[in-house]
Amino acid sequence: MKINAKNVNFYYGDFHALKNISMDIEPNTVTAFIGPSGCGKSTFLRLFNRMNDLIDGIRLEGECLVGGQNIYDKSVSVDELRKAVGMVFQKPNPFPKSIFENVAYGLRVNGVKDKKIIAETVEKSLHQAALWDEVKDKLKKSAFELSGGQQQRLCIARALAISPSIILMDEPASALDPISTSKIEELIFELKKVYTVVIVTHNMQQAARVSDKTGFFMLGELIEFNDTKKIFLNPDVEQTQNYITGRFG
Amino acid sequence: MWSRPKITSPDGLDDLLTSGFINLRFYESEILQFNKNMKHTEEELVDIKKSISEMWSLVQSQFENSKNALLSTNTELAEVILSREKRVNAFELKIDSDCENYIALYSPVAIDLRLVLSILKINKTLERIGDFADAIARFVMEWSNENTEKELFDLLKIENMMGCVEKMLEITHNALTDENTTTAGIVFSTDRIIDARYNEALSLLAPYINEHPDKTLYCLYLTTVLRKIERAGDHCNNIMEEIVFYVDAKVLKHSPKD
Repeated sequence: MKINAKNVNFYYGDFHALKNISMDIEPNTVTAFIGPSGCGKSTFLRLFNRMNDLIDGIRLEGECLVGGQNIYDKSVSVDELRKAVGMVFQKPNPFPKSIFENVAYGLRVNGVKDKKIIAETVEKSLHQAALWDEVKDKLKKSAFELSGGQQQRLCIARALAISPSIILMDEPASALDPISTSKIEELIFELKKVYTVVIVTHNMQQAARVSDKTGFFMLGELIEFNDTKKIFLNPDVEQTQNYITGRFG
Repeated sequence: MWSRPKITSPDGLDDLLTSGFINLRFYESEILQFNKNMKHTEEELVDIKKSISEMWSLVQSQFENSKNALLSTNTELAEVILSREKRVNAFELKIDSDCENYIALYSPVAIDLRLVLSILKINKTLERIGDFADAIARFVMEWSNENTEKELFDLLKIENMMGCVEKMLEITHNALTDENTTTAGIVFSTDRIIDARYNEALSLLAPYINEHPDKTLYCLYLTTVLRKIERAGDHCNNIMEEIVFYVDAKVLKHSPKD
């Protein structure tokens, strides 16, 4: 499912956090947002499943479209939007439930009762999150018994279980060790075959390794949005080059 | 589109499927390769190695054809070489670009870095050997009316010299494919044989020109061919050094190899 932003301006009270941003994200791609802290990349990501709605004093101008529909239209159900647009956060946040129930949760709250369907979906989601082999013999154990990297993949499995079309990831590997990070990155690369993935990362090498397109943000502006190869080999804008080479400042 | 689906059946599944809430594609899809053995960054490296191997085979074929075209003054074969030279150049550009992208995107270290650096240099060197084959083919075209004497080629051991280069190309190709440097000594010693043959050939050409003054210009041009064959041997030597750098992490450049 494609994502489009058209002339998006976003304000936290008086603070102009996103400045006239337009972007088209194609289906079945991985798009990475990079930029210094406070540049607006996470704010922009959170627009697409309306996570910013929870903050007081915000104001949005412009259009955010998912699958061609403006998701800020009054007729849109935020619950339904979030089924189509899943999210994975920086720190793993499993529920205090068993591994199985963590993944089954989304299906149960949405009325799926058939045990066979639930079991199949849990298994498939855990497979997709590259976690099945590690947890198949302890599905009834608490999710908190898993390592940080496993918990993050469990959260990804939980997001996949309700079959979204888009997965937003806000620094999904920043709290993980290099081996877990590598597994998450490989997972992201595989997920794009079925899903559209958008990832915010502070790790530029991670953006380079996993994404097809990269957007560089600074001070609320989208400085450059281009093929990842282009960004990391021959960026069009000098500010992008200064940032990715560490000469920023 | 985003309105909550109305659930009417006992378990609600049919409605969820109809509403698109549950994505059938998810259930039907087996396209994800779960638990792959190889990471995508490794697959990229395998692709680069595959490309350089294909280029290698092409250059081997070009050089072999140049030998046959030269020894039999076969202009048709020479034209084939000239037409395929563009493919060698295209390989060089593609592999250069692939290596640049690999370094820019994946920041390789240790053996992966050594492999990419080696391939970058081998790529350039193979292209040069391809150029030599092209130049020899042009020599054949230019001097096709000259009454070349097979005895002269035998005297200069051209077939033997070019055969040595072919062997070196084959050994180095296998060495990279198998990541095995035990054959490095053969390559280095073969290069010394070619160097000796080259010096012998030059010393034999001088009296030949004295005896056949009408062939002076032809012989002068023939020395450029000899020089290219000798340089091709040097390049194979350099390629082997790069493979040793990649596999064994040893730098043999500018050091004695006895």
